[in-house]
Amino acid sequence: MNCPRCQSAEEHLRTECEGREGGELVWTVFYCRRCSFTWRDSEPAESIDYGLREDWFRADPDHPEKYEQNIPPAKTDGAD
Amino acid sequence: MDMETVTLSPEARAVAGRIHNIRDYLDLLAEHGQCITWPDTVMPEPDIRKVVVAAGRDAMTGPAIVFDKIRGYPGKRLVVGVHGSFSNIALLLGKPKGTSIKELFYELAGRWGSDTPLINRVEPEHAPVHENRVEAGINLYDLLPLYRINALDGGFYIAKANIVSRDPRDPDNFAKQNVGIYRIQVQGPDRFTLLSVPSHDMAQQILMAEQDDVPLKVAVMLGNHPAMAMFAATPVNYDESEFAYASQMMGSPIELTRSGNGMDVLAGAEMVIEAELLNNQRCLEGPFGEFPGSYSGIRHVPLFRVTAVSHRTDPIFESIYIGKGWTEHDTLIGLNTSAPIYAQLKENFPEVVAVNALYQHGLTGIISVKNRFAGFAKSVAMRALGTPHGLMYLKNLIMVDDDVDPFDLNQVMWALSTRTRASDIIVIPNMPLVLIDPAAEIPGKGHRLVIDATSFMPPDPIGGDAKLVAPPTGSEIDDLAKYILRLQKEAENR
Repeated sequence: MNCPRCQSAEEHLRTECEGREGGELVWTVFYCRRCSFTWRDSEPAESIDYGLREDWFRADPDHPEKYEQNIPPAKTDGAD
Repeated sequence: MDMETVTLSPEARAVAGRIHNIRDYLDLLAEHGQCITWPDTVMPEPDIRKVVVAAGRDAMTGPAIVFDKIRGYPGKRLVVGVHGSFSNIALLLGKPKGTSIKELFYELAGRWGSDTPLINRVEPEHAPVHENRVEAGINLYDLLPLYRINALDGGFYIAKANIVSRDPRDPDNFAKQNVGIYRIQVQGPDRFTLLSVPSHDMAQQILMAEQDDVPLKVAVMLGNHPAMAMFAATPVNYDESEFAYASQMMGSPIELTRSGNGMDVLAGAEMVIEAELLNNQRCLEGPFGEFPGSYSGIRHVPLFRVTAVSHRTDPIFESIYIGKGWTEHDTLIGLNTSAPIYAQLKENFPEVVAVNALYQHGLTGIISVKNRFAGFAKSVAMRALGTPHGLMYLKNLIMVDDDVDPFDLNQVMWALSTRTRASDIIVIPNMPLVLIDPAAEIPGKGHRLVIDATSFMPPDPIGGDAKLVAPPTGSEIDDLAKYILRLQKEAENR
């Protein structure tokens, strides 16, 4: 499994939460530590299929400079 | 601002007296058919989104919807659409269901202008919000039925929280305590990002904390008193308290207690998430389907760490649908956006009758005014552009006469059809504009449009028939002027 937004490999993904009903696993929430995308494996394909995403809705964590700073950090040694 | 005593109707007083928290309000709404519990089991996505969008179609009478059968979240409760229709707002103000928007506007505008806090203090050990306390092993995913609001959002958002923070340089000053609605993206079991516009109070506090290398603590209040949810989004001055506004607008005391990290918080909130800024750390955030109906992009946004969570037993997670309008966002903040613009305009122009800034946080505004003479409405429009909210938001302004209800779009269209001439349109190019306007060629900069749809008026006649003084003229006067100059030169040379 890769990140549905940036295709980062499994080693960059974190399991956040498992939804259960009477002991049965019904879904799992994952987080991509590289692009910050969060998703549930039960969601419709438009949200979690990389192939269905327009470029604008994909992420490129190899080039963080592409993304603007909301509030630039006052000191840069602690940034990202 | 002058202190005035707001006079409430007996009905409004009765409502104010019975509502202490969101549960009281949901009970009131349910009594009037304005809050329903969804009968079926839903998947977090896409079912919640679909139900909520369908309920939100009816801006006048759409109900709040409680979900208590969410697959994978047994026992968890979610409510969406609490402020989703004008009938819900009407009931909060002590008015009947179906009250016209114009009447609600006047009710709210009439409560405006008093800022004396009505606060009851509740000891933390007696505050419902502290019934349950989590200080270790915090996991927001276990505490809240989180879900994706719009299909292409970058994650799971807490979109209707009121966030309390204190000025890091003046932490003991109650009035400088800020309460605002900022979107929060969950970034892990005990991490979140919080997006604030750089000019807003919260962003200023983040900047101060990072510059001075001091901690910035925040308390995220969830499932709040319905007045708080409305007034945290109202632009008040930096040294004015949103708690004070909320209590005054309701005409009854707000019950405040202390959070574990020292903030004043609503004693009856469903949950308070205590957190601190991780100074200088940023995390990718977004996109999020925002109020203009389009997604905002991905940005590096300040990151916070959750330090503790307090919550009522069986807390209700309150959320909101935001996207292409009409949505709950428009009903939640529309009247509170309109009322201060009205109050500020009235100071200079008592001829202003009503202000409708309901549309996309005032990107389009309609102002009704008693037109005194030709062009008068245009001058009022210029003043509106100079109000604190107008400065960044009022992109399109439609000026109508006092016989047109600006909240009735049929009447506004009638005025546009019958009273507008193309020469009565003003475009002011390259003005400041809220970053989020999707039509902007450059984010943060755009053109303003004023359409004067008021009726023809003759120019002000005063001065038109002035009896002018006729001072003496002609060669004799010219010669005298030259003679005066000569006398001056002679005096100088003497």
